[in-house]
Amino acid sequence: MTPGLRKLALIAHITFSVGWLGAVAGGLALTVAGLTSQDAQTVRAAYLALELTARSVIVPLSLASLLTGLIQSLGTEWGLFRHYWVVFKLLITVLATILLLVHLQAISYMADVAAGTALSSTDFRGLRMDLVLKASLAVLALLVATTLSVYKPRGMTRYGWHKQDEQRKVSRL
Amino acid sequence: MANQSPYAGSNGSTPRWVKVFGIIALVLVLLFVILHLTGNSPFGPSSHTPPMEQGVQ
Repeated sequence: MTPGLRKLALIAHITFSVGWLGAVAGGLALTVAGLTSQDAQTVRAAYLALELTARSVIVPLSLASLLTGLIQSLGTEWGLFRHYWVVFKLLITVLATILLLVHLQAISYMADVAAGTALSSTDFRGLRMDLVLKASLAVLALLVATTLSVYKPRGMTRYGWHKQDEQRKVSRL
Repeated sequence: MANQSPYAGSNGSTPRWVKVFGIIALVLVLLFVILHLTGNSPFGPSSHTPPMEQGVQ
């Protein structure tokens, strides 16, 4: 990639990734409100907003973060499988995206229930607590990914060492 | 990421942080799988499959 394109790709990746983290944090706040609020209107609003946020913000941002991350790694010398920190970030992103898509069903279900009836503090408590737990874990996972992005801890994979040897041989010719 | 040249790395051994991360990740994945396969999710039934009936008034 040209330097200009690299910067653009980097800006896009940072924007989508940190935006994803922020949106998930907002989602966490909504799940906590849905679980703990004593006001029926607030609980209803929280789950409706959670579904809207998940479908229209969190999912697109997660997919955009994954895509721009792939472009960043494959379009630069970092590569996708050469450095452990990139591999871990990829795993975190892919896993978080898959789990998000799987849990959309539960989120939509809670939104449908909340829209149709006033939830008491004990209704669907297990599911509501689980939404809080999953949102918390998602925030944690994305914080780990962000930390890896900044620190870029040392460590090349076997594939990375192999590619590096290849490049050195080529540069000597 | 794009503005830095990749570092060479000191040797071919796997860094300690990778091993620690790997162990933590493996434990979490195993825990997740075991809990969901046994239906013993911390807060009740599997969360991504909505319950058939639950205390709705």
